[in-house]
Amino acid sequence: MNRSLARAIAIGAAALALILPLFAGDYPLQVARNVMMYMALAVTWDMLLRSGQISFGIAGLFGVGSYATILAVVRGGMPDWLSIPFAGLFSGLVAFLIGLVILRLRHTYFSIVTMALGEIFRIIIHNLHDFTGGPEGIVIQQGVMFGGKSSHLYWLALGGLAVALGASYWFDKSRFRFALTAIRNNETSAKSSGIDIFRWLLVTFVITSAIQGMIGGIFVQSYGFASPDSVFSADFTLLPMAMALLGGIHSTVGPILGGLLLGLVAEWLKLKIPYGHLVVYGVMIIVVILFMPNGLLGMARKAGKKAAGGQRDQA
Amino acid sequence: MGLVAVNKVSFAMDESEILGIIGPNGAGKTTFINLVSGIIMPSDGKIEYKGEDITYAPAHERARKGIARTYQLIHPLENLSLIENIMVGSIFARGNSLKAARRKAEALCSELGLRDLDRDTSRLTILEVKKMEIARALANEPEVLFLDEVMAGLNADETKDLIATVQKIAKERKLAVGVVEHVMGVIRELTHRVIVLEAGELIAQGPYEEVSKNKRVIEAYLGGAA
Repeated sequence: MNRSLARAIAIGAAALALILPLFAGDYPLQVARNVMMYMALAVTWDMLLRSGQISFGIAGLFGVGSYATILAVVRGGMPDWLSIPFAGLFSGLVAFLIGLVILRLRHTYFSIVTMALGEIFRIIIHNLHDFTGGPEGIVIQQGVMFGGKSSHLYWLALGGLAVALGASYWFDKSRFRFALTAIRNNETSAKSSGIDIFRWLLVTFVITSAIQGMIGGIFVQSYGFASPDSVFSADFTLLPMAMALLGGIHSTVGPILGGLLLGLVAEWLKLKIPYGHLVVYGVMIIVVILFMPNGLLGMARKAGKKAAGGQRDQA
Repeated sequence: MGLVAVNKVSFAMDESEILGIIGPNGAGKTTFINLVSGIIMPSDGKIEYKGEDITYAPAHERARKGIARTYQLIHPLENLSLIENIMVGSIFARGNSLKAARRKAEALCSELGLRDLDRDTSRLTILEVKKMEIARALANEPEVLFLDEVMAGLNADETKDLIATVQKIAKERKLAVGVVEHVMGVIRELTHRVIVLEAGELIAQGPYEEVSKNKRVIEAYLGGAA
């Protein structure tokens, strides 16, 4: 696909996304909100994946951000609008401290530790009963942000997604792409070319975790409620992974594409199999990795190459 | 106590000098390069470069200080194009912008005779892969360059081409180049001076003609008394 066509589609999609509340009802807007939040998580997960590190801790950072927001508002009286970037900052800081320790690990070991992260945070919050409200959760007394107005909550989520997309695009256009790709492809070579691997991983981990935390903040402000089981749910880890894998990893567009497809499927699944939907995401991840590891984008690229190659042969 | 892989190997290299590093298999040649470039850390002892103690400096810092090396088994960065592979050192070891790095990489490619720069690295000939690996190391703008068996797998013509290339680079950039090779013909033609390692120790140094007649060196290769 040539660049101007891609740009035109992107602008068209953005414009459509922006004006959606003008003609869509409450339920579609709510679905769209959720899908966009998952998309943002998918995109940021992919950003770290580009360095070769697979995080299973999305829910952990998302949950940390959620609680940072709700506690800041309920216990600290922080204004709503401030509590969301605050979630980002707080999650970023937590990620920095954790990253200092766990980013000495790579690949499998890193992944296993991130898996534990969500659990550790959940248990901490579960047990700091008085401050966090414990297992029953905590409610924002003054209610949901914007008084629950669908359109505004939708735009809030859209804003969160825009931040994630902007960051991913920046990663693609800057020296981040070189650093992360080099680290992923061949760490020894990367080192020999002057790349401080630990530092680049740490920065990437902090940025992506901050955004994930911010999305957690947006989530909680949209529903006015947080509990350990709701915000640390494996949903927030598995679905974004499935989305990125399905659409095509190592790209900005892939997670969006996967997000659109899976997001709608997920909504439907939640109605049909309220407790089994996680199984579906898990199965999907396995199937995609086995049969189409580069996702739909990868398949499209392959088909495009074949077509171009075929034409050359005939010339 | 275990096997001492490299033991008090110390020597000087001059700018524009091409030094051969030879010795039987297992002598510690690649280990030496790995120690100097920071890919492995010493269990004991000290590494000094230009009077500075770099014993525990990480590899990426040494790259920035001016030490560069190529690898015997070349694994290009498969998700970057040919020229992007070369740009990496320019961006991270020298801190250049993407634009400047691209220009410098293009200049390097032109110097080494590499074309079609946006190519996928899976489509390179073996000579191109070797040249890309050398270019990658040169992108660091090093003062010292170690080439680890870079001639391996090349035919006579390709070897001649690469020898001429290395000679040109060393001269024009006033680079100190250390060349590990097993083919003595290459050593004879390419190097000004040679050092010989055996079981981790430096057992001889001098011009190739001298060193090749050294009794101890011959024994080392033919397996004389331990």
